[in-house]
Amino acid sequence: MIKNTKCECGHQNRVGTVLCEACGKPLDEHADSKELLEMRYDGAARRSQRANPNFIDKIWNFFSSVKVAIYLIIFTLIGAIFGTIFEQESNFVNFDPTTFYKDKYGTIGDIYYKLGLSHTYESWWFVLLLVMIGASLVICSLDRVLPLYKALSKQKIHKHMQFLTRQKVVYQGPIGEDGVEWTHRAVKPLKKKGYRVYTDGDALLAEKQRFSRWGPYVIHIGLIIFLLAVLFRGLPGLHLDKHYWFPEGEITKIPDTNLFLKNEKFTVEYYTEDEMSKDFQGTGKIVPKLFETKAILYECTAYCDDPSKEPELKEVDRHAIRVNDPLNYKGFKAYQFDFDLTPKLRSVKPVLVNAKTGEQYGKFQLDMINPQQEFELGPYTLKLKNKFMDFSLNDQGQPITKSKDPNAPAFLFLIQGPDLPEEGGQYIYFPKQIDKERFQQDAINEKLGGLQDKLQLDVVGMEDVDFIQSSSYLNIRVDRVMPYVWIGLGIVMLGLIMGFYWQHRRIWLRIDEGILTLGGHTSKNWFGLRREVASFLKMMNVEVDEKQLDNGGNRS
Amino acid sequence: MGKARRPIQIVILIFIVILGAYAIGSAVSGGGSGKPQTGDRPPAIKLLGMDGDVHTLEEYKGKAVVINFWATWCTYCVNEMPALQAQWKKWSDQGVVVLGINTGEDKMTVTNFIQQLGIDFPVLYDFDNEAVQDYGVVPMPTTYFVDKKGKIASIHEGELNLATLDDQIKRLVNP
Amino acid sequence: MSFLEVSRQAFVVAFYLYCLAFIFYVVAVTGKTWRNRDPKQHERKWGIISFVTSSLGLLAHLVYCGTRWAYSGHVPVSNMYEFMTFLSMMVMVAFTVVFLIYRKILLGMFALPIAIIIMAYAAVFPQDVQPLIPSLRSIWLYIHVTLAALGESFFAVGFAAGLMYLLRTIDFNSNDKISRRQKRWVEFTLFSIIIVVGFIVSVFAFRASGYEAVFTQNTTKIDSQVEQDSTIDKKVYSMPPIVAPHDSSAESIQPFLGLDKPLFEAPAWMKGENSGRKLNTVLWALISGIVIYILLRLILRRPLSKLLAPTVKSLDPDDLDEISYRAIAIGFPIFTLGALIFAMIWAQQAWGRFWGWDPKEVWALITWLFYSAYLHLRLSRGFQGRKASWLAVLGFLVVMFTLVGVNLIIAGLHSYAGTD
Repeated sequence: MIKNTKCECGHQNRVGTVLCEACGKPLDEHADSKELLEMRYDGAARRSQRANPNFIDKIWNFFSSVKVAIYLIIFTLIGAIFGTIFEQESNFVNFDPTTFYKDKYGTIGDIYYKLGLSHTYESWWFVLLLVMIGASLVICSLDRVLPLYKALSKQKIHKHMQFLTRQKVVYQGPIGEDGVEWTHRAVKPLKKKGYRVYTDGDALLAEKQRFSRWGPYVIHIGLIIFLLAVLFRGLPGLHLDKHYWFPEGEITKIPDTNLFLKNEKFTVEYYTEDEMSKDFQGTGKIVPKLFETKAILYECTAYCDDPSKEPELKEVDRHAIRVNDPLNYKGFKAYQFDFDLTPKLRSVKPVLVNAKTGEQYGKFQLDMINPQQEFELGPYTLKLKNKFMDFSLNDQGQPITKSKDPNAPAFLFLIQGPDLPEEGGQYIYFPKQIDKERFQQDAINEKLGGLQDKLQLDVVGMEDVDFIQSSSYLNIRVDRVMPYVWIGLGIVMLGLIMGFYWQHRRIWLRIDEGILTLGGHTSKNWFGLRREVASFLKMMNVEVDEKQLDNGGNRS
Repeated sequence: MGKARRPIQIVILIFIVILGAYAIGSAVSGGGSGKPQTGDRPPAIKLLGMDGDVHTLEEYKGKAVVINFWATWCTYCVNEMPALQAQWKKWSDQGVVVLGINTGEDKMTVTNFIQQLGIDFPVLYDFDNEAVQDYGVVPMPTTYFVDKKGKIASIHEGELNLATLDDQIKRLVNP
Repeated sequence: MSFLEVSRQAFVVAFYLYCLAFIFYVVAVTGKTWRNRDPKQHERKWGIISFVTSSLGLLAHLVYCGTRWAYSGHVPVSNMYEFMTFLSMMVMVAFTVVFLIYRKILLGMFALPIAIIIMAYAAVFPQDVQPLIPSLRSIWLYIHVTLAALGESFFAVGFAAGLMYLLRTIDFNSNDKISRRQKRWVEFTLFSIIIVVGFIVSVFAFRASGYEAVFTQNTTKIDSQVEQDSTIDKKVYSMPPIVAPHDSSAESIQPFLGLDKPLFEAPAWMKGENSGRKLNTVLWALISGIVIYILLRLILRRPLSKLLAPTVKSLDPDDLDEISYRAIAIGFPIFTLGALIFAMIWAQQAWGRFWGWDPKEVWALITWLFYSAYLHLRLSRGFQGRKASWLAVLGFLVVMFTLVGVNLIIAGLHSYAGTD
């Protein structure tokens, strides 16, 4: 279908143009229509509107349609609802989804799982919807913003009569003076209201806050940046998200980085009675106030990649990590996540006691991990033969360890010295008093050779026992794209404010043989425009009720 | 107007298709836990061995490698040690390496244990659990069978007996 | 008198002032037709009285907020009671803003009940000042919650204006499909509001009478290690049990109107925490709501919509449509900033991820998507007026589900304590 797109004013318009680009006369409509004008994009043709669309045009047109965009939004909305019916798999760390949903919710849960709704937001169709929304954002905006920009930057002042009378805000009435003079006089009050005013003889165009028209497109640009940032988040190297335990007082390597973190001190604080309201004290609940890990971050400077050497470390950052206050070192972040207050033995400093004379030798440091293996104590030599961190006996009565955690440590020594067999005597030592009794240290030593009557290993006081008081569980994250996420969202916000809190208002007027015709258009808030027009007309000594300016119809 | 726009349209559409495919692809595959699966290359290892040298998987290029994650406190690991040792003896001259990775224990514990059992296949220390993390090992023991092309042929979780171990290694040597 | 005491008094004062202001609005609107009165002057006079009263109420409400803040040391938005109270205050703020723009007195007649109902709903929850757990101790939390509440309040005003539009445009004489449908659904919307009132009434009635029923329930918990752990839980009902928790036995039940044992048991698939009690509460809300509704119908002898429609007759439907749209347009950027952007900033700081597909987050997104669809739809012809108003009504339903429904039905990170 070939339409005649040439306007009576002589301007050649593009296919799809609704209002003549030059004079604003409505095209392709019955001349006597009284309907309000379609003012979207100022009546300009969208870029993609063509006489003979081919395949690419069709795809392009699909995504450039607002209707399609709305459908996409609605489908995404409904899809998102599905994902909230039951828990999502991503909310759990350790569980088996194949049975979880069936066990918890029965058949419905099983169907939910089998439909793949247990990971709705990672499913191909949900991501596809988001991608299509992204495509729609790009194409819709491109398709509209350029023609709109062109239309707004080359506006003609003198508009077709129909263009004015078919606006939503219209006034028509006689003025008792010369048109050019009246128009000239109208400039000042409009300027006072913040309009930029252009006159052309007895025609006038007043315009303000045009920038608000770009609001929606700015929003869309922001959303595109946001979506792209989220998409590229998954690229290798840009993203790290792991959880590790950091025992107090230890320097722990953070895998996949050349950083080490020392948990100097972990604290939990609870609210005291005074800090709680009277009512709340009555409930008897204990509420934590603070979780804090005093952390020092080290960077490895040498021997980082060589497990056979001790790495050289340099302190680079120091921070008290709290919930809501992570450590942040050049984009590397550590968040307080969990903690464990079970104390763990780090080392003991026992002495060797001669059971007969009561003479003491040493204090020597016995570490749970990588202990020294030979000790010279006075006349005695102690050789560490074996150690069991979580002592137990197996079915055959042999000593074994149940785990690597020092829950019930035991050390087997070979002791040589005066008054002992030449090859030495075996001696087992349990640093914890409770284990000594539980596993009957003396009875075992009796079997090993009866050394316990001659020598004893013992700690003198509590100051000789060193515990790892607690462990802090930190979430280690690197997220290199976050700045772009925030920039995107910032742009969205800017666009929202531009588009929603300002309105592009335009007033056209022309005077034909002493009759003033005024048309007004705004992107939003007709109420405000009517009030402004009424007040302007009042300044020009034309009394008109705000409501009378309304040309009917309903178009906000 | 019109003609010049066509290339721009096509470029934008191609971009959208590429990004969309990437987004969907990474969303769907990203559902996995990042653990190596059968057919993948095993994650790189750089660990200190009991012999005092640093070892990597590169050294065993062209050989079939049986990577076994173990600990002294894990009964099943202890149980399967003799079978591993026997297979190491049987296959080592046919280009098969048994590689034990001890998880999170100190030198003394490991050395004592190895001497007690008389094991002589290479054992590496993974004190910081780095390899455990990379391989995503959950139950102990877990054994990875890597073929001569350097691909994971199979993964076995739990105790191995002599027969299955022999069977698995046979398949590595003669695929 | 401590700050807390002042704040409690101020809460009550604000509540009664709102109720009074509502009555004044009714007088302002209906009194026009009374004898010996100049309608214009009457409306202006009573309009000013009502607005002043409601503003005084807002002032008392602000005093409540300020003193509670001073007492507890944090913005009072940290539990359901505080949040709902704050939301009703924001509804009043939004109403005041829109009123100052459009000067439509009648808006108050519809906005005030929303604020009153939300405030009464807030009072259902435990009112003690709770100390904040570490994750809630963040400045971003306050900005996030307060701004989100403000945005949602503008949506509430949009809802009020949309409902007024629908009431205004109902054609009671016509019997064609569209107007029949409109009559039915407007009545249903009003009925739904009555159900909420019914819920509040029943909670307070049984609370005042000190009702209690106790059940013991065998629950099998599956924790993260997939170990089954069977425990016996006590379930305390504060309303007479129509429905007992699944697989439970009654320990003590106060008889109520001859009801001394539950009528039936919650179905097995309702396995959520306290789902039996929640179902029971919902049933009571429905029963009280229906009773109130039937009583109203008997007294008034006509549908509620027919009663309300004449009060909005003096308004121009176009204006109502614009007010509804404008309120939503003002609220949308605030909502985006508060409920999404600041929420992301906070989540990034507290948990290291700005988005986690938590049900509450998802529902905030759904709300946002819904209103963006609304804004796009308004661009096209045929979606102004009636259809847009329905969307504004529906949108507020989505907002309320996000705020209340998610906490009741779907538990997540945001689940504040004390949902009854």
